Order: sequence, then C-alpha cells, then structure tokens
Amino acid sequence: MTRFWVLKILRTVLTLWFVVTFAFVVLRTSGDPVVALVGADATPEEVEQFRQLWRLDDPLWIQYFRYVIQMATGQFGISYRDGREVIDIIVERVPWTLILGVFSYIGAILIGVPAGIIAAIKRGSTFDNLIMATAVFGFALPNFFLGILMILLFSLSLQWLPSSGTGTVWHLIMPAITLATFTAGTLARFTRSAMLEVLDKLYIRAAAAKGVGYWKRIIFHALPNASIPLVTIIGLNLGELIGGAIVVETVFAWPGVGRLLVTAVSSRDLAVVQGLVLIMAVTMVLANLVVDLLYGLLDPRIRVQN
Amino acid sequence: MFTRREVGSLILGAGALSMVGNLPKANAADRPSLNIAVDNLWANMATINGISTTSRRIFPNFYDNLVDRDYIKDENGLIFAPKLATKWEQNGNVWKFTLREGVKFHDGTEMTAEDAVFTLSPERLWGAKPFEPRGKTFTAGFKRVEATGKYTFEIETERPDPNIPSKLTGYIGFVVPKKYYMEVGVDAFGQKPIGTGPYKVTTFRSGEIMVLEAFDDYWDGPPPVKQISWKIVPEFAARMAGLVSKEFDFIVNIPTDQEAALEKYHGVTLKRVLADNYPALAFNTRPDPVDNPLVDPNLRYAMVQAIDMNAIVQALFNGTTEHPAVPFNFTEYGKFYDPNLPVKLPYDVAAAKALVAKTKYKGEKLLWHITRQYYPNYEAAAEIMVEQWREVGINVEAQILDNFELVYRRPYHLMNMSMSSDFIPGDPYQPLWLDWGPTASRSTATWKTWDPTPEYLAAGKKFDEAIEFEDRKKAYLELSDAWQKVTPGYYMWKSVYNCAHRAGIQFKFKPNGEMRIYGDYFKFV
Repeated sequence: MTRFWVLKILRTVLTLWFVVTFAFVVLRTSGDPVVALVGADATPEEVEQFRQLWRLDDPLWIQYFRYVIQMATGQFGISYRDGREVIDIIVERVPWTLILGVFSYIGAILIGVPAGIIAAIKRGSTFDNLIMATAVFGFALPNFFLGILMILLFSLSLQWLPSSGTGTVWHLIMPAITLATFTAGTLARFTRSAMLEVLDKLYIRAAAAKGVGYWKRIIFHALPNASIPLVTIIGLNLGELIGGAIVVETVFAWPGVGRLLVTAVSSRDLAVVQGLVLIMAVTMVLANLVVDLLYGLLDPRIRVQN
Repeated sequence: MFTRREVGSLILGAGALSMVGNLPKANAADRPSLNIAVDNLWANMATINGISTTSRRIFPNFYDNLVDRDYIKDENGLIFAPKLATKWEQNGNVWKFTLREGVKFHDGTEMTAEDAVFTLSPERLWGAKPFEPRGKTFTAGFKRVEATGKYTFEIETERPDPNIPSKLTGYIGFVVPKKYYMEVGVDAFGQKPIGTGPYKVTTFRSGEIMVLEAFDDYWDGPPPVKQISWKIVPEFAARMAGLVSKEFDFIVNIPTDQEAALEKYHGVTLKRVLADNYPALAFNTRPDPVDNPLVDPNLRYAMVQAIDMNAIVQALFNGTTEHPAVPFNFTEYGKFYDPNLPVKLPYDVAAAKALVAKTKYKGEKLLWHITRQYYPNYEAAAEIMVEQWREVGINVEAQILDNFELVYRRPYHLMNMSMSSDFIPGDPYQPLWLDWGPTASRSTATWKTWDPTPEYLAAGKKFDEAIEFEDRKKAYLELSDAWQKVTPGYYMWKSVYNCAHRAGIQFKFKPNGEMRIYGDYFKFV
C-alpha cells in the first residue's frame, strides 16, 4: 500500500513538473509579453525599460529556475497586466467557476445518468432513440454556439433571462445549461452502454430468477456494477468542464478562471497563465486521484488487489 | 403586473425626469445609475501606462485635462476651452499656465501647481527612468516644468513650441495627485486611480468591471449619474441582447454588419463617429529580407495604384467612412486640409501593371502580417486587396497572426498598423512626423519598416521648427511629398467608433472615442 502511494505521489509531482515546464516553454515561444504589455507603438527604449522592470531580460534558464522555485513554494508572482499578486487574482475568480461548475456538473449528472439508465432499460424503443438523439445533439453542439443561441432566444427575443454577468440566480441558468449540455450528453451515452453490458450479465438474470424486484435489480445490482466506467468518465469530464468554462465564461461574461485565462493568454500575462495552468493541473491530478480511490470503494476486487 | 426589469426602468425613468443640468446635492441619491457593456477594459488606468482606445473611452470621467477640446462648438474639436487650466500664454520658449482654484481630487486634497508640475515632470514622463516611459513620446522638446506659485506653473521647451496647449488636451494633460501617486507607486495608481473628474473610481477589477461613483465635490457641479458600471461583455450577442432588454444603457463596439440589425430594435439609438485614427499598412522598404522586392519604390507605387479602396470602403462600411486619397490630407486638420490636393497614386490598374513591369519582381510571394481582429474589417479588406494585387501580377499572402509580437517577427513584406491623428488637434504633426520621424518606433525598432530619407528628415526639421501657419503648411506639404516619394505605407480609411444607447438619453460621441457622461455631452431627456 505504501509503495502504491509513493508511486502515486511521484507520478503526480512528475506530471506537475512537466506541466509547469511545458507552460513556461510555450509561453516564451509564443510571443513577447512586453510587446503585449506596452502596446504596438512603444519605442525600443520603452520596451527595454519594461523588460528590465519585470526581469524578462535575464537569461531564460535563470527565469526558468526562478519560476520553478516560485511554483514549488506556492509563490505565483505578480501579474504583468495589473501589478497585483497572481494568487489574489485567481482566488477572487475561483468561487465563480466553482459555482458554475458545481451547478452544471450536478445538473449534468442528474440528467445524464437517469437518461442513460432509462435508455438502457427501454433499449430499442422510441424513448431510447429520442434520448440518444438528444444526447448526440448535446455533445455535438459547440457550447459557444449553444450559448449564443440561448442569449438570442431567452435574452433578446423573450427577455426572460439576463444576457450576461452575475448578480442573481437567474444569471446562472444559461451558462450552467450551456456548460452542462455536453457533459449530460456524454454521460447519458456512457451510462446506457455500461448499463446494457451489465444488464446482460448472468448475475442479473440470477437475481431475477431469485425473485428480486425489477427496480431493485436495476438500482442495487446493475447500477453499482455499471458505475466503474461512469466514475472514470465523470472524472475525465471535470477537465471538459474546465475547458468548457473558458468558452462559456467568455460568452456569458462570467467572471471565473476560464475568462481570466483567456484574458491572461491574449495579453501574455505569463505569471497569471502559469499560475492558472498549475492550478488546473493540480485539479486534474486530484480528480484522477479521487477516481482511483473511488474504484477501490466501488469494486472490492480492486481494493483487495491494491 | 410589472416585471423586474420594467420596475427597474420605471425607477430609472423617474430618476431621469429630475435630471436636468447640474443637481443639488440633496437629490444626489435619486440620480439613476448606468450600466455600460464594453468589449474590453485596459488593465491599467494610469494616464500614460494605460493608453488605449478602451481606457480613452473612460478616462475623462475621472481625470480632467489641463486644456479641453470643445466638440460641442466645433465638430473637429479645434476650439480649445479652459479646464483645469484657466489661462495660458506663451513668451518665447516658455508657456505660463494658471490653474483653476478650488479643484479637489477624489481623496479630498486640493489640486495645486505642484500636482500639475509633477504630472508633466521628468521623473514621471521624460527623465532617464520615468515612471511612465511612454510619456517621452508626447513630451519631446520639454526642458523645464516648474511651479511659479500655488496655482501657476511654467513649461519651458528647447525652442518655441506653439502646440503646448494642444498637447495638454491629450493623455499628458490629465492631472494626477502627486502625494497619492508617490505613496502608492505607478502600478498601484493604475489600479486605484485618483483624478479631479466628475466621477471617482470605486471598483476596478481588470478584465471584469470598473465602477465609477458621482464625485459631488466636482468643481463644475455634481454629475448627472449616481454610478456608472463599465462591464466587460466580450460577446456582441450578449451586449446587444442586454441593450434591447434594458440590462444595459449603453453598449460599444458594434460590428459594422450588425449595425442595421441593432437599429431595428425599438428604443435603441446607434451613434457613429469618424475617429481620429486610420488603419493602414506599412511596406517593408528595407533589404531585410535581403531579396525583398519592395525595396523598389515602383513596386510599392504599383501596389497602391492597384487598390480600389473607395470600393472596398463602400462595401465594408456602407459609406459610413472614407478613404483619404492623399495621405495626411485629413479633413480634421482644418486649414491644413486641401480637397484639391493632387492624388499622386490614384487607383489605376493599367498604371499599376506598367509599374510592375518596370521592376525586377517576378511574382515572388510577399508576406503581409496582420494582427487578428485588431481593426474592424481589416482582414476582410485584406482579402479583397490580395485579389486586386493578383490582378496586376503581385502575389501577396495575408497571414493573420495572434498578436503584434508575431506580426513583428521577420520575414515580412507588409504589416498592419494604425495611426492616430489627434495629438496636436488641427495639425498633422503626429501622423506625419511623430509616427514616421527619426525617433518613431517605425524607424527605430528592431522590426522597423523604413529608414527616413535625408529629404524627409530635412523637410521634417523645417516642419518641426515652423511656428507661423504659412511656414508650417509649406513645410507640411514638402514633408508629405518626401514621404509620398518613398511611400512606406498606405492609409486605408478613417476608423469608425460606434456605440448604442437606450431611449431617454441624449449623448454626443467624441471622435477620440471618449464617452463623457457629463456636461453637454450627456443628458437624460
């Protein structure tokens, strides 16, 4: 067990190191932050002064070691754009992304999983076809397109919902639905496949032969056994939610980390981008860790093997 | 039964009815608030480090200039009006300014000559390592700035400069409080700016929102709005929906092809103004890359003559703007403008083909670096221009790049740019000399596209030193000729700024993009 955890932690550290290094290299090769900072008409003298101010005139390897040490000690540095502590900027945005993410995630699970179960137990019916068509539509529709369609319908034409921003629970509805649609569609399809596989197993037939009730068989026998692939997908979709938030937060002017990332990348605010990349990487690594733990809880065979 | 928004509108309307002119303080709380959806907010609101179209829009609401341009009495803003400075007079190399008394900054301190002098000081703008280095561009020739009394100060220049008051109508003329600025430092000042304007900044989260509140101790009386929220809404559909559904009172930056659709909505008024700015392209006239065919001026002339820019402007802007047929001969330059000035390189496909034939150009690919979505309709115009060049045998590939740093990476043969024309109102100093002259980034940066010729430099020196109008105009024509002889660039059209507002508002949009929510520029009706 100790070896299992040591390996896990080593793998996590290696992944995070790879991510921060990758972010460092990509950001330095994709544009000069000083030019983005001072504008197109700045003279070379002005550019140089800003470069010195932000210590971007140091050799790349010195910048890299300074950056790695900062990341390792949790110091994300100062934003080039507005001179504030990066951690403060990120911390004030995280709650908004969490609110949006949690609402849409719970919504996607509450819609996607039952829809998949129903589609599986009504296999081949019109109901099944309808659910699957909706699911395909859900994950095939780009979320920026869905978001704009919803704005045009519910804000512009019907004037039922606010078009953007935050402030009331009404502001949350359209971004959450837009973000949840893809995940719900994916979950519905995976749930259906997983359930169909399990429903054909002998132990389900045996339970029926022993007189176990229909819904009891579905909920207590089939669903737990179908949940391993579902947990994997739910874990992986956390990344999709973060990726989706970048687009959805921009469309709906939602002040979360996704929008912050877009602004920071376009303005070459290296410190903010690096901080966000690290936080997102940690989130994904933790999500995978939780998924691994859940495997053990859900399937005794995995627990015993570990 | 009223909906939530209708109730809000009624409250807003009730407040609006009481808003005529300046308000007594007792009514301050009754004033309506405004929500303005903008496409972007610059990250820094310091007067110089924060220079951008998006901050210019907001600046005059919380900063005041020393000298103002009156766009109410003159469409081109060529009439100057006192603002924080009430008098100014020139004596040789020295300008003496008298400040308005009793003006307060938002922190309650009084504005004095010490603040004005600090605002224009070498330590802030033009010294060896100034706090806001871009200030050097706007303070060329400054020698001394000194207080001569509590409300008087002097600016001494290296030689007589008749344009100092004009220059103080721009970014360098926004007065900042010395004590607060020095206490917090330039970066923190850019996040929590203090000025003497009619509104004070209460919230600024870059990338999200700026909130201004009425400053009732404003020297010209309390402003008409209680609170203005400038919210970033990047997606145009959301801005449009928000205006139509009355979430927003104003929206800005409406795509040209969406203007007609927006105007169809009831209660929406579209405002459009020709800006003091020209998107352009720069020809790389230098032998870098070594085999650059554009070092031959005939090829550059041919490229200019191959473009039917009037047709392009008509197609893309539906006649709302214009192409300046002669560079620098801009209507906003008043007496300098001459509608009868000969067009040296008119649209003429046959002439363009003949010019190409005179060169050694054999159809090599020319790279045109363009910053993605930086200027409205630029990419669309580029597509058409590439085809028009193909017609005369010139092979151009437009490369759309994500940022200016990529645009500046060699090799390239053409690149996008834009030039403002309002640094000295009514005078072509900025586009013709400041932006192309020997200290301009265009002729000094690593990515420079031209080397000013001796002829251009000599004419520029004359222009820079000319004081009397007749001398200046003569030097301007000579300088313009020297530039056209090289043709290191091509001015495409006069930019158009637009915004839209709800019913019940009377608003005057300024050509420099400023949205003044006070005075004669804004009223509830």
